[in-house]
Amino acid sequence: MLKVSNISKSYGHILAVDNLSFIVKPGEIFGLLGVNGAGKTTTFRVIMGLLDAEQGEVTLDGKKIDYSVTDQIGFLTEERSLLTKLTVIEQCLFYGTLKGMTKEQIISRMDLLLERFQITEYRERKIKELSKGNQQKVQFLTAIINEPKLLILDEPFAGLDPINVELFKKEITEMAKQGSMIIFSTHRMEHVELFCEKIVVLVKGKTVLEGYLKDIKTKYRQKNILIKGNLIEEDIKKIDGVLEIVKRIDDFEIKIKDEKVVQKVFDKLKNIKGITKFIVEEPSLNEIFLTKVGETYDQ
Amino acid sequence: MTSKLNYLIGVSLKRKIKTKWFIIVNLLLAVAIIGIVNMDNIINYFGGDFNKKQVIYVIDNTNKSFELFSEQLEITEKGFSQSEDSSYELKLYDKDIESARKLIEKEKKPWVIVFDDDPNTTIAVTLISEGYIDAIDYQLISSSINNTKVGLAIETSNLPIDEVINLYSSISIEREYLDEEKLSDEENMETIMSTMFPIVILPFFLLVIFLVQMIGAEVNDEKSTRGMEIIISNVSPNTHFFAKIVAGNLFILLQGSLLLLFGGLGFLIRKLIGSKGFFQGFEQNYLSLIKKVLANGISNQLIYIIPLTLILMIFTFLSYSLLAGILSSMTTNTEDFQQLQSPLMLVLLLGYYLSIFASFFKGSIFIKIFSFVPLISAILSPSLLILGQIGLKEILLSIILNFGFNWLLIKYGLKVYKVGILNYSSKGLWKKMFKALKD
Repeated sequence: MLKVSNISKSYGHILAVDNLSFIVKPGEIFGLLGVNGAGKTTTFRVIMGLLDAEQGEVTLDGKKIDYSVTDQIGFLTEERSLLTKLTVIEQCLFYGTLKGMTKEQIISRMDLLLERFQITEYRERKIKELSKGNQQKVQFLTAIINEPKLLILDEPFAGLDPINVELFKKEITEMAKQGSMIIFSTHRMEHVELFCEKIVVLVKGKTVLEGYLKDIKTKYRQKNILIKGNLIEEDIKKIDGVLEIVKRIDDFEIKIKDEKVVQKVFDKLKNIKGITKFIVEEPSLNEIFLTKVGETYDQ
Repeated sequence: MTSKLNYLIGVSLKRKIKTKWFIIVNLLLAVAIIGIVNMDNIINYFGGDFNKKQVIYVIDNTNKSFELFSEQLEITEKGFSQSEDSSYELKLYDKDIESARKLIEKEKKPWVIVFDDDPNTTIAVTLISEGYIDAIDYQLISSSINNTKVGLAIETSNLPIDEVINLYSSISIEREYLDEEKLSDEENMETIMSTMFPIVILPFFLLVIFLVQMIGAEVNDEKSTRGMEIIISNVSPNTHFFAKIVAGNLFILLQGSLLLLFGGLGFLIRKLIGSKGFFQGFEQNYLSLIKKVLANGISNQLIYIIPLTLILMIFTFLSYSLLAGILSSMTTNTEDFQQLQSPLMLVLLLGYYLSIFASFFKGSIFIKIFSFVPLISAILSPSLLILGQIGLKEILLSIILNFGFNWLLIKYGLKVYKVGILNYSSKGLWKKMFKALKD
């Protein structure tokens, strides 16, 4: 279990991480969310021991993270951390050996992953000769080469097309099933919704939202109603509890204050002919994020 | 962690050695060094007259000067160059001066010396050439002519044969030094120092430049690609730092050995092709001088001069590599490092020039003080030691100071390195570094 307890880190007068705490259990996929500069990368660097926190503690299975346990951790940085003059195999051997693996173990695991990520033909190619997406695959591959107990992914989907996002997602989910703890950061909420169970939202280093995704969505009272048909917008707007009506290409999205408003809207529309769709939806994480982050920024 | 250190050293070394550029550069170095050692042969191959003797036609209107002049020229030249082979070919010319002038105009190269009787100065001499005559040649000829004149004057003075022999015998100079520590061998060593030392120290200079740039480029490469984050999340900054230092120093030891090998190959080739040329005199002069010096007991000093110089050099290589590692960790790209290393190169250059000036400004306190300064002492101390300007105690002090300097670099430099390698911004750089030093 990864336990981050009350860590704080500042750069000069700027507080990058403010009293942050969270727990990631084996098999959990944990999302660390926030806009640029929220403190996500600083948090990862503190977890990895690259930065010393001014207060707080980070433990893995009850033990402080130091060089005796880093062999069990995989780390993918936000920016490419590949030595571009090396070939793919040299890069894997380099990072794999630093993880305490033998040459045979690295080659065997690397070949398996190259095949899984459909880049076997680049085995002997120099990193700098690969496309951005393939470089990202190699970087991910080197992060998981040691089958880590804890996998830290800083913006893992940057520069990837939807097919490759799916490949990554599949691999991450599989690793979680095997018992790995996975913690990743992103500011793309749709990626979080794909497979994340637990999240922390950071704003200026402070936690503004945390918990299991399903609980957060349940607790979040605002809902959306999707309606297709000829409705009169002015009539709907008059209903108490309707916050906003968004006209989309072939339907309307009505944002309501809470679940109680659903009946009022339904009553208003039930006698109107031509209504072909009436769906009540949970808000997207993006909406929750924008609301929460917006509130904090306003404060 | 030890195995990771060894692995990082191996990777770092491989990155330097297992490249086509290492092979290309060393091939170029081999060609250049072998070429320099055999430069006279190469020049000769493309046409030159370094092996040809200077022809001097002698018109002896006195009928007694030619033989004596030949002898005197041979003696004077031997005394000057320590060589058995003469550079001159004297030919008695039996035509008149006008014919000689025409001959020079035609052949260009030969010179003509005309000896005439002179009632006041015994002989009068005219030296004719197409153009200028080299100052050394002129001095040799002039000295030989004067000796010839003296010889002729003695002959006409009817002195007894024993006295004539005594007059011609060479004088043995007995040197006396009031400073008991001074040896005549050291006086000879100054000649060697002023010429040989810059040649010996040049590879050291070259290797230091190699070392500094290699470490700087490698650290910056890992920093700029952010590979450093992955590396430092698996090995400590200390391990990473020492891996770079050890690999860098092993590399220059290898490169230094290769330079020696190329030099050796050059001389072997030179020997195999039986070279004779303008280097020959140089070789013979210094070899004979070194032999003489060794025979007189300087070898006793070399027994400690060589190992002490080697220790100082190794410590200095370490100093430069430690500084290169620390400075490169502070910079965010190779361009910044290139600028930051310039003062380091200037210090090295200062040492180089001071070592050359040491034999010109004997007893300079300024130079002596610098001989203790780390980064410079490896170049300067041995030269002052050979010149007899400092003793064993001083060179040992230089070693101790260098050791202390390296210890301080490791102690405080590691603090800077730990912060520097993960710093990607030049904003507030020095503040961050001073803060790191205080922590």
